[in-house]
Amino acid sequence: MAGIGFELRRLLRKNTLSSLVQTYAYASVIGSGPWVFSIVGILLMGLLSVGLVVPPFLVTQFQTSVTYLVAFSLIWTGLAQLAFTRFISDRLFEKREEMVLPNLHGLLLLVLGSAALIGVLACFTVLSGQSMLYRMLMLAGFSLLCGIWILTVLLSGMKRYKAITVLFAVSYTLIVLISLGLRYYGLEGLLGSFVLGHLLLFCGMWVLVLREFNPHRRLIAFDFLQSKWLYGSLVLTGFLYNLGIWADKLMFWAYPDTSQAIIGGLRASLIYDIPVFLAYLSIIPGMAVFLVRIETDFVEYYDKFFSAVRQGGSLEEIDSMRDEMAYSIQSGLGEIAKIQTLAVLVTFVAGPAILRLLGISELYLPLLHVQVVGAALQVGLMAVLNVFFYLDERRIVVWLCVELLVLNILLTALSLQFGAAFYGYGFAGAMLITLCTGLHMLSRELGRLEYKTFMLQ
Amino acid sequence: MTLPKAKEADIALLLEGTYPYVSGGVASWIHQIIQAYPEYRFALIFIGSRADDYEGLRYQLPPNVVHIEEHYLYEHLQANSIPSPRAGHSAAFAKAQVLMDALGRHAKGRTSTDEVIDAIRTVAKEIMPGGQIPLDDFLYSEGAWELIRQSYEDHCTDPSFVDYFWTVRIMFQPLWIMARIAQNMLPVRMVHSASTGYAGFLGAMVHDTRGIPFVLSEHGIYTKERQIDLLKSDWIRDNRNIFQRNASEVSHFRKMWISLFEWMGRYCYAAANPIVALYEANRQRQINDGAPEERTLNIPNGIRIAQFAGNRRPEGTPVPPVICLLGRVVPIKDIKTLIRAMRRVVNQCPQAEAWIVGPADEDELYAQECRNLAESLGLQRHVQFLGFQKTTDILPKAGVLVLSSISEALPLVVLEAYAAGIPVVTTDVGSCRQLVEGLEGADKALGPSGRVVGIADPRALADAMLELLTDSTAWQAASRSGIARVEQFYTDTRMFDSYRHIYEDALAFQKEAR
Repeated sequence: MAGIGFELRRLLRKNTLSSLVQTYAYASVIGSGPWVFSIVGILLMGLLSVGLVVPPFLVTQFQTSVTYLVAFSLIWTGLAQLAFTRFISDRLFEKREEMVLPNLHGLLLLVLGSAALIGVLACFTVLSGQSMLYRMLMLAGFSLLCGIWILTVLLSGMKRYKAITVLFAVSYTLIVLISLGLRYYGLEGLLGSFVLGHLLLFCGMWVLVLREFNPHRRLIAFDFLQSKWLYGSLVLTGFLYNLGIWADKLMFWAYPDTSQAIIGGLRASLIYDIPVFLAYLSIIPGMAVFLVRIETDFVEYYDKFFSAVRQGGSLEEIDSMRDEMAYSIQSGLGEIAKIQTLAVLVTFVAGPAILRLLGISELYLPLLHVQVVGAALQVGLMAVLNVFFYLDERRIVVWLCVELLVLNILLTALSLQFGAAFYGYGFAGAMLITLCTGLHMLSRELGRLEYKTFMLQ
Repeated sequence: MTLPKAKEADIALLLEGTYPYVSGGVASWIHQIIQAYPEYRFALIFIGSRADDYEGLRYQLPPNVVHIEEHYLYEHLQANSIPSPRAGHSAAFAKAQVLMDALGRHAKGRTSTDEVIDAIRTVAKEIMPGGQIPLDDFLYSEGAWELIRQSYEDHCTDPSFVDYFWTVRIMFQPLWIMARIAQNMLPVRMVHSASTGYAGFLGAMVHDTRGIPFVLSEHGIYTKERQIDLLKSDWIRDNRNIFQRNASEVSHFRKMWISLFEWMGRYCYAAANPIVALYEANRQRQINDGAPEERTLNIPNGIRIAQFAGNRRPEGTPVPPVICLLGRVVPIKDIKTLIRAMRRVVNQCPQAEAWIVGPADEDELYAQECRNLAESLGLQRHVQFLGFQKTTDILPKAGVLVLSSISEALPLVVLEAYAAGIPVVTTDVGSCRQLVEGLEGADKALGPSGRVVGIADPRALADAMLELLTDSTAWQAASRSGIARVEQFYTDTRMFDSYRHIYEDALAFQKEAR
């Protein structure tokens, strides 16, 4: 989310209470907008269909289908997300804007092609026996989502955060509106509105990119695959991180005691999934603080540090900028911890009522609590990873993602063994340990930042 | 072209920024020396800044140059790929710390130069390939980083850390290159360096590690010349702001460079034997800079007498009223002082003329100023700019040779004038007083072969020239002692003999190349 700091700092500069509120509101919309809209949209479609879509199980089938589409499209495009972001920002930094559009098209071609291939395979394996229309919609939905993640990454690289948020808001409003009409056609109706809305989202984003970079001569290029421009560590990181985040969910879907078959080969864990979605809604304030603190304070001292190095600052000055960087990370994480503690307390208080509203047994309240804590830890980890990206320590990030994935699998497996009282601890534990490792590495790296900056060149 | 390579040689010449890639006084002298001893096989170890700074050989290599290797100090300042972090050898950094402490105490006058030289020698051994302080540790280790940080905090008065950091790197990195050369150089029986500085450091390292004789010849004084260079150079930055700056204090980075060259010089003097100066004033300066007096000696440049001797005027012939200045028309020759002096000369001796013989295209602005000055003093007819002429043609027509320079080393034109029987009037720079009045002993007994005056003193210069032009007895005496002086002390054969002795002694001591 580099570059957003500039806008946030501009808002903060007014130094009034309302500008402060404005800054955090803006940051929370930008930081959490897209996935909040999707989660709320999907939940809303379910709520609005109650009593109208019969049998009600069709709604569950719809929600499960969409969850699978989102999960696997994120994991699959994870391979490209970070590496492509880096490719685009490097080219923009070199002022070679003309390379952006053809390479976007090249990547979209690869991603859509591979997504279609995977989708077709899935249609004939896990989804075999389902209606043709359902399978076609799933295939379309999967490909579209993959394309949308790539476009989102590109637009973020161009710092069009506002446009992304607006487009998501408009599309999901449309999806809910269309579903009001199509919900009478059952599962296919709901899925149809989902696909239609995402088609609009995809087209909207694409038009935005086309307007930014006038297409000329070359329309398709695969420069991003050249080894000098392709960071293998980023490919790996994107994939491992997304897999690491979803590993516990996938395991809960596959484990017989915690899941049930929903449609075709797709299984879901109703007791696990809803608390997870709710938990993610609880990190909105944390994300906002993360953006404001890391992208403004940290980046400010990060810039000052390097300009002190380059422009002949004294060692004392360089040292103090380094210390300020460390301090801004410390206070940023501290604030995330504080605000997320508040959010946790709120969910503790409001949790029973929310579960009751969604028709989930209050027996799963402890699971919601753990999930909220886990999600909060995830915000902290994202902040740490983000700092490592600034320091260009790609290797460390890869190892942290490996650690996250392995721990999440191991601890989730243990929690499944130990029974319902331990559900959710796997994910939260994995996050906690990885975050601690990350913090430890971060303090070590900051300690030798100057040594590395000067000596290792 | 491919450079000659050999398995071994007799004498390795250590050449920093000179022969065979740069022409000039020192380079011509080296060319002369190599040709004078066809019986020895020479290896040339050239040390330059960067390969791009030189354009091929400037001399036709004599056949006894059997080996050339070239090394560049500032070629690889940055690693090709990102180096991996390392801690570094702590015992090695302790040795470096001992040296730094010794230097600190020496600056406060609390320790002897010898102790510092010993510490330098210890560290110099460790930077050899296979030693405890490899270059990579100096460049990339945390131990080196801590030392650099520490020394910046303790000593640096310039705020810019990045400049300090790079100054340290650029200053010291070449020492590892020297160490590598010292290790890998072909086996030789002796080394001969034409300067102190990095080449002299290399010579001392080779001497210390291989135990072979090391001869040092200094034409200028490297330490002094580098000081002048450094004080003038813009590329050494000074980042102090107006409040931090003290006009009387030179920038810290300059001090670092000067101190580096001083210590490399002392380390080199400690190893070299003999330490040869071109003339007495330079020998005194070497002693002052730390050279042990008993190892120093003078070997002046020499010329071939025969080509000038033939045109000497027979005694009793009237002295032509022609004052001749042989040299480029540049500020360092201070032509303007001669022109001002000519006004006084012409006032008393209207038929006198000054011929300024030498190319005027190097500094055209200065040349024009000189012409304008002559014109404004009404000396158009008395001061002539003749451009480049052959010395052998011009000297027989001259009455007195004059040198009004503000800086000289051992000017060959003075020796050539003597050989042609012409007295000289010079300013008191470089070896000029020695050349005119002679060194103590037999030399001085010959009597003055001209006159020496202070720099930028037109009145004294004019009076000295007038004396020689108008007093024929004085002229004859000076002419005679000039001829005697050059024939006894400044012939090329005498110079070659002196170096032959040095080479023979060294090579007799070291029979085997190693």
